[in-house]
Amino acid sequence: MDIYELTTGYRERFTRIALFEPFHELKRKTMRDETNKKIDVVGMGLLCLLYFFEQKLGRNTKAGVRELAIFLEMKTDAVYSLSPSKWESLSRDVLQVFRPATGKRYSVTYMDWESGQEELVSFSFFKANTFDVKTNTQYYTLDDDGLELVFATKEFYSEFQLSINQLLLRKQLEKGEFKDALRRINEMRIDVESLEERILQLTHELKRNITSEETFQRYSLLIEDILLRLSMEHEEFEALQEFVNETKERLYYKDHTKKENEAYALILQISTRLEEVHHQHADLLHACTELKMSALQAAQEALYFVGIDSFNFDQDITSSIISTPLVLESIKGLVSPFLSLEQTKLWSPLTLFANQQIREIREEDKTTDFLEVESKEEQEYAMLIRNQYTILFSLLLEYMEEENIITLDEFILYIQHSSHIAMLDARIFYDFFLLLHHRSPILRNEEEPSEETHVLDGVRRLLENRELEVVERKNILVPNKRYSIQNMEIQIKEIDDDVI
Amino acid sequence: MLYEAETVRRAFEMFQVLTSTGKAGKAHYHLYLADDAIRGLINEFVKSVDCDLVTVGQELLLIPTVGDSPFHVSNEYLRKTYLKSGASNADLYLLYFTTLVLFGEFYNSYLSQEPTRDFIQISDWVVAVQQRIATLKEHDKEDLKSLSVEFSYNWQMIIDKWDSMDDLKEQAKKQSGNTISRLSFLDTVQRFLVDQELVQEIGNNEITLTEKTKTIIQRYFMDLDYNRGILEFLYRMEAGKKEDACDADNLEN
Repeated sequence: MDIYELTTGYRERFTRIALFEPFHELKRKTMRDETNKKIDVVGMGLLCLLYFFEQKLGRNTKAGVRELAIFLEMKTDAVYSLSPSKWESLSRDVLQVFRPATGKRYSVTYMDWESGQEELVSFSFFKANTFDVKTNTQYYTLDDDGLELVFATKEFYSEFQLSINQLLLRKQLEKGEFKDALRRINEMRIDVESLEERILQLTHELKRNITSEETFQRYSLLIEDILLRLSMEHEEFEALQEFVNETKERLYYKDHTKKENEAYALILQISTRLEEVHHQHADLLHACTELKMSALQAAQEALYFVGIDSFNFDQDITSSIISTPLVLESIKGLVSPFLSLEQTKLWSPLTLFANQQIREIREEDKTTDFLEVESKEEQEYAMLIRNQYTILFSLLLEYMEEENIITLDEFILYIQHSSHIAMLDARIFYDFFLLLHHRSPILRNEEEPSEETHVLDGVRRLLENRELEVVERKNILVPNKRYSIQNMEIQIKEIDDDVI
Repeated sequence: MLYEAETVRRAFEMFQVLTSTGKAGKAHYHLYLADDAIRGLINEFVKSVDCDLVTVGQELLLIPTVGDSPFHVSNEYLRKTYLKSGASNADLYLLYFTTLVLFGEFYNSYLSQEPTRDFIQISDWVVAVQQRIATLKEHDKEDLKSLSVEFSYNWQMIIDKWDSMDDLKEQAKKQSGNTISRLSFLDTVQRFLVDQELVQEIGNNEITLTEKTKTIIQRYFMDLDYNRGILEFLYRMEAGKKEDACDADNLEN
């Protein structure tokens, strides 16, 4: 028995074990619902992972605590009864196990029996994706290790995920399960995207970390591995693409009666999606080749660069300043490497004689456009107002059928005795008369086609050939506890077309 | 050594790019590596403005050296650009101080060269600064007052500044306004750091370091040569302080 051989790859093995650590942590949490029933927190953790995986599949970037809470409630509210805020705090708790609120990485220390030293593995399951400044809501997405964990619960590792997916896709296509095949392609897209991210991360790491021959060896081995994998997957992709095309054609020719329209539409979709993923993957191959180049370059640099093995900014810099303490100016000296150089702005009097810019610099010429109603919402709102005004005005006209001149208080009295009394509680009633007064005299439609008064369009239509004039009176009316309005006199003038 | 006019012109061009943006891209990088004359010139230019040039990936980074130099960005400029109108140098030094504490929170392990955390909550940052200030307070007050080249500011003032900041208002919902609280001060610092592309906001009052910061720490502070320079600078500061103290003793005698 070779006792040294026995422990090779100890670190990797242990990492796999430690990956499940969050579930043990969840197990230790006890939570009860309002009927004092114990909540299955571990299950919530897994549901949380699956939820975010699904969001990633659907390219939804806006998934946060609240969305998770809604999902958990939907899924389990038949069993547990909790208030909405409790659901939210539950999902927050679960999420915080995977993504500790302190910002420290989720890490596990263990004894490495291969090297004989205590070592540390750290994970990042979730990361902040985007955030909404307005509501201060943070959205999350599964990070590398999170994906790994999702896959680990399904008995294969993320490294082989892509190849497995390719294999499965082929099987599904052979069996004609096109719907599932689409989902499979979506999963492949995630694999490719996570690979993309890993390569980007590797590029950054390379820049910062190659300090010795040893690390270079490690990285170049890693890159070789990735490259090999990528090119294998690439070949498989090409084969798959061909297979899909064949299936597509076969389906097209075989199906004379065009009975299987749906299937054909699906396979078309599969074909384009697959092409997209394939393209993305091919880009990766290119990126990786470039990465290999820059790794070589970095190694070359490393010849001139000697890094120190252990450096602890907190201890070596921050603490050493304050423990002694050093002269205050020293801290500026230490910050300066991070800062940009000062940019001096000079102005020469000679510019006076240079060509002058005569045109006034304006941020943007705003006067050329009409005021536009911007969004659909606003348009809908304007429409609503216009309709309300039209209704109000038809009421007014109804009342004024007998008399040509009335005052507002008379009209209000009329309204108070009619079935429309609720109108007096709404602000729109008062707005309407203020607007009428403001726009008075209101002429016939053709005569004043102004953009700003389009809310009065309905009013104009009802006016037909008449003119409306509104003149204010002195007394103030208080028809409602909340609103008061100055009295006004409203007159409708008939205009005789013959006179003009 | 005699340089051709063309070489000098190209070197100067590259230097200009470096000083205005702090970095130079691939083309410059290859030129820098390939042409000895240009490399020599650039190195000389860079040294003469108290900076160092670090090659990172296929990029050149211009990094101001540790220490005080007239070529580095001046206190006055930073004060005017980032702090409130009434701010003094003490405010600025508190800003420097909190910045160092922040970086320390990310790189605080001898075991790993990578940051030990992905992000930090602003409130955790406040706690970290508070701890450091508490350590500072353990020193003799007179010592703290005397430890400065200029009399207008000293450690004690920094401590007082921090202590006088209100932490009663910390419960208010929005902290970026004019309330002088610790959070709002750190909010200012954060804005400064974001502007210098050193940290990135990720929402929920959390911030994370940018690639630029990581690169500077891992390639500059962790470089054997530069690191020696930094430590030397620290020792010099310490030695200078002792000399000062001796001088003071001599005077008294």
